[in-house]
Amino acid sequence: MDEQLQEDWLDARLRDEAAYLDDAGFTATVVQRLPPKRASSKFRATVLILVTILGSALAYVLSGGGQFIMEGIARIGSLSLLSVGLLALCSALVATAVAGAAAWSKAR
Amino acid sequence: MELTDADLVARVLLDDDHHAFAELVRRHQSTVRGLLRQLTRTDVALADDLAQETFLRAYKHIRSFRGEARFSTWLYRIAYNCFREDARRRKELVGIDEAKWQAEHDPQTVDPALRHDLMQALQILPLHERSAVLLCCQNGLSHDEAARVLDIPLGTVKTNVLRGREKLKRALAAWESK
Repeated sequence: MDEQLQEDWLDARLRDEAAYLDDAGFTATVVQRLPPKRASSKFRATVLILVTILGSALAYVLSGGGQFIMEGIARIGSLSLLSVGLLALCSALVATAVAGAAAWSKAR
Repeated sequence: MELTDADLVARVLLDDDHHAFAELVRRHQSTVRGLLRQLTRTDVALADDLAQETFLRAYKHIRSFRGEARFSTWLYRIAYNCFREDARRRKELVGIDEAKWQAEHDPQTVDPALRHDLMQALQILPLHERSAVLLCCQNGLSHDEAARVLDIPLGTVKTNVLRGREKLKRALAAWESK
């Protein structure tokens, strides 16, 4: 028997051994052991948006109609150019760190 | 039209769809359980426990499946890791449950004596050769895919398959001429 025929013979015997195994309740057992279903992504998105709107409205009312925003803008306007630059740099660094952490956790 | 594995994975990711995951389990349970039975030297109960653990881990870590390899290859890798961890925990050999093994297979298709000899020959192979032969020759993975599953270099897989096959051929030499 030549080499190729021998290899075909061996592979065929090995594949014969890989007979189909009947499920026999295996899938049902696995599904039973799965953790409870998470809320659907649409539901989670809706809840998140509603909570954001509610929180924003609450903050607006409690802060006297957003007066603090105008005060904040006026305060930033009174800062020196260097202070504004430093503030911008710090904000950029924080945003970069958060984005980097998110990318790292997604890549894991 | 039948959904592909990638479609089902997407449904699990998007909506935590248990039905989609159940379909994935149904499609792959036979090959995963079969592989684990061979690796555990046909300990059916242990193999099925490890297969369940394999699918539960797959569900838990399904976000890490990126679709670069086939879903089955990814599952084999998890199954092999489950097996290795369990073997490390046990640090003992398990015997062959011959009666259960025979009951699972159709005696009409293959000579039982040949099947017995092939099983014995497979069990004699060291684990690294047995795993490589089972993945490549029985489950149809490429050498490259098997290297990913076993987490070893491609050249090592080729060597292990070659050596494993040589040993099997020697052990079954009497059957080849029949």
